[in-house]
Amino acid sequence: MGEALQQQLAYVGYGLYLLLIIAGGLAAVMSTSLVRALMGLILTLFGVAGMFLLMNAPFLAFMQILIYVGAVSVLIFFAIMLTKTPEGEAGAENMLEWIGMRAGLAVLAALTPAIIMATLIVKKAPAALALKPEVTLAQLGEFLTGPFVLAFELISVVLLAAMAGAVVLGFERRKGK
Amino acid sequence: MNSLHTYLFIALVLFCIGLFGLLKRRSLIGMLISVELMLNGAGLNFMAFNRFLAPDPAVGQVAVLFIMGIAAAEAAIALSLILALFRKIRSVNVEQARQLKG
Repeated sequence: MGEALQQQLAYVGYGLYLLLIIAGGLAAVMSTSLVRALMGLILTLFGVAGMFLLMNAPFLAFMQILIYVGAVSVLIFFAIMLTKTPEGEAGAENMLEWIGMRAGLAVLAALTPAIIMATLIVKKAPAALALKPEVTLAQLGEFLTGPFVLAFELISVVLLAAMAGAVVLGFERRKGK
Repeated sequence: MNSLHTYLFIALVLFCIGLFGLLKRRSLIGMLISVELMLNGAGLNFMAFNRFLAPDPAVGQVAVLFIMGIAAAEAAIALSLILALFRKIRSVNVEQARQLKG
């Protein structure tokens, strides 16, 4: 494949993933139904996985889909389904609240870092260095078991503690009541 | 597509959408979804800096992997907390969870 064609395809992919991220993100925060919000989140996660692909990190894209789309969103879906009340979906919010002061304040709070960081990015961000070769999986593994071995072990402890904690919290005491 | 700025801007947009959602939503599950958006923005940021600036190209990827691990742990804990709260007050609205006594 020619270099020019590759570049054009990269632009197309970039636009597509950008669209996925922004549309999904907006759906995730704006929709009144939580199931739709979750679908928006999944769309965004796919978009971010695409961005990882564009940044030459196929392993991360794979992990993003495996962990986020495969596990985290299923967990959130469980949360939505298990907290259903007879009146309908728990946590669904009506559109009227939008006009309220809280939404305005939320917009303000989100715009503040956006403006500050965007100015910083435009003014201060250094130019990109020359392209680097793709990091192989073996290199990544060496990093995880070499300089990052403590963090690597700690995260397994964190995951184990989280799992045990989830079981303890989720355990329903029947005779205590 | 070799500019650091473009990727940083996407990460920023994602983070700000998440922050907005976190403040706007009143249901815990909606807030959890927003937190996931923010975490993804942070991961994208790490990856962008790693791809275009870092002297060692593997550091940022390791950081993103750690973020994913933390996010998975956080989602599991949040699920069980939401369920525990729901059993107590029959709602996932944070404004109805104002009792400190367990």
